[in-house]
Amino acid sequence: MDIHEYQAKQILKANGINVPAGKVAYTALEAKNVAREISPRGPWVLKAQIHSGARNNGHFVERKAGKGGGIRIAKTLKDVYDNAAQMLGSTLITSQNKPDGNLVSRIYVEAYTKVEHTFYLSMAIDRTYPAITILAANTETDDIAAIIANSQEKIIRVPLDLKGPTKAHSKRIAEFLHLHTKSFDSFHRFVHGLFKAFIKSEALMVEINPAGIRRNGDIFALDAKITIDNRAVYRHKDISSFRDEDDIPPRELKAARNGFSYHEYNNGNIGCIVNGSGLALAMVGMLKGAAACTLNIKGGVDRDKIAAGIKIIATNPKVEGIVINILGGFVRCDLIADGIIDTAAEVGMNMPLVVRFEGTNRDEACNILEQSNLPLIMAESMDDAIAKVLKAVEESE
Amino acid sequence: MSILANKNTKVIVQGITGTQASFHVSRSINYGTNIVCGVTPGKGGSIHLGVPVFDTVKEAVKATGADTSVMFVPANSVKSAVAESVEAGIRLLVCISAGVPVHDMLEIHQILKGSRTTLIGPNTPGLLIPDEARLGIYPENIHHRGRIGLISRSSTLTYEAAIEINRSGMGQSTVVALGDDMIIGMDFVEGLKLFHKDDETDAIVMVGQIGGNFEEDSAAWYAAQKNKKPIVCYIAGNDITFRNHVGYAGDIITRGKVTLSGKKKVMSNSGMIVVDNLNQIHEVLSSLVK
Repeated sequence: MDIHEYQAKQILKANGINVPAGKVAYTALEAKNVAREISPRGPWVLKAQIHSGARNNGHFVERKAGKGGGIRIAKTLKDVYDNAAQMLGSTLITSQNKPDGNLVSRIYVEAYTKVEHTFYLSMAIDRTYPAITILAANTETDDIAAIIANSQEKIIRVPLDLKGPTKAHSKRIAEFLHLHTKSFDSFHRFVHGLFKAFIKSEALMVEINPAGIRRNGDIFALDAKITIDNRAVYRHKDISSFRDEDDIPPRELKAARNGFSYHEYNNGNIGCIVNGSGLALAMVGMLKGAAACTLNIKGGVDRDKIAAGIKIIATNPKVEGIVINILGGFVRCDLIADGIIDTAAEVGMNMPLVVRFEGTNRDEACNILEQSNLPLIMAESMDDAIAKVLKAVEESE
Repeated sequence: MSILANKNTKVIVQGITGTQASFHVSRSINYGTNIVCGVTPGKGGSIHLGVPVFDTVKEAVKATGADTSVMFVPANSVKSAVAESVEAGIRLLVCISAGVPVHDMLEIHQILKGSRTTLIGPNTPGLLIPDEARLGIYPENIHHRGRIGLISRSSTLTYEAAIEINRSGMGQSTVVALGDDMIIGMDFVEGLKLFHKDDETDAIVMVGQIGGNFEEDSAAWYAAQKNKKPIVCYIAGNDITFRNHVGYAGDIITRGKVTLSGKKKVMSNSGMIVVDNLNQIHEVLSSLVK
């Protein structure tokens, strides 16, 4: 689960990290009022709150939003109001959320913080070890995107054990970043605080891009991104309230609420229902551009949920044919067959439907469907299912 | 010989009394798996599916001499269940449970470090030795005994790959599904090593997936081997669904953006035979024999 910058900064602050004074606003008027509260004089920084990075170099779709990106500096309260009015309700496209972009429904207003130096620092899980790993780079001359593309040797990687970073770790990283020795202590506190935040919130990633060092040596998180492990959110009441599903497309959201995952593709007209993320990818590969969407019901064994899932696909207007490919292990084919019948009864099924069952309770499932008298096409294998659905859709056109 | 287990392996089931566990364990017993007992805290002393149930793994091991455990416990209990098994001296753990929190897996790795325990999974259909033992939830009817080792990160694609092996007229020596979670126990390298040592395995089918570097790690190992068994490799994925993540850390960890074509190239450069579609596996296997 991705959370917004202002939410991430609340977590960081609670763990002893310096962050600029700031408040979130949902309207331009609110933005102006909170700007005045934060600081009597400008400049202020206005930051679009969307679940994406690279906002500064992004651009808005709508004309009314003007030419600026998703992060803007406002010198006067009028600037705050005008820029907030431009950004709110507009769609921001960045290199990380293209091509669709995200609607900006809230902005974060911060006091402008003057810093002498900046650097990139994140913690993420390197699954090869596996270990929480510190990643850091000096961003004085190049930004992190350029460093990743051209000079990865400028990034230091330090895997940690679960006890967290030692002073020696911090010193090594500080030297690599060419920090002034007077900042070493505050740097260690910074790294230590990030690790604490990472562990306490069960994060998969905490990224500060950039962190800034003030003249007195204090280190500030100027930006913050935190991704939380979805599977652990239930253990953290405070964090679960950070969930913002505004930017998740409705079908994807509906699938997620039933415990499934759903993906859409451009141009295709076949809906695929499978059990397994690998199987979904393999089907899309074999359909060669004809896939409109895939629904992965994972280990679903609840008849009602399965019916809800099939309905998501059956009611997608782009879908002209459905292929259901289930290889039952944990999933029982007979429960899927029941779900198909429930959906057909509820929404009607007036398009070709190809079904391939293999594995647990396959014969029971085939019997159920045979007795239902639904106009189904049964397939023997994955190749067969794909060939049959393509042919049926072509013939029905 | 198969790898990791065989028909004589004494198997405990942790969480045996759950609905899904009961359904699958009774099928495993019918398959011939040597399931000697179950463990469910609070239900010790009872009999379930014809085997005794104990409160703790320690008691179960003491009473039966079992050294292998299949876990069907709820996701939030996996960490403590692993710790309990490691302490009781279990050699092989197969964790079927899905949805284990990532930070729990980090702690589990810490627990496993320095122990004699190997973990397969979590979020896996498990381990299958055709005609001998079913440690998990595999559909029984699609697997046949033969001389091809099958190792996979996906669940359902494991079954699909097994069907492909059957299509070539061959069968599987052992089927290992590693699980497709972010952090898993056994990885491809360990599995490939075991298959290379196994004299009943002539060739290996490997099913990888986009995301992470597990496949690249195994390619590095394979490239360095002198005596290579043939590996037919399929990687599930495309560059459309592999969505951009928030932030840059993911791309730094994998040393640049991972693409399907890039991954396939690494595998192929190591000497593996990389196929573009699953349904090409049987053709390649047939051609290996000729």
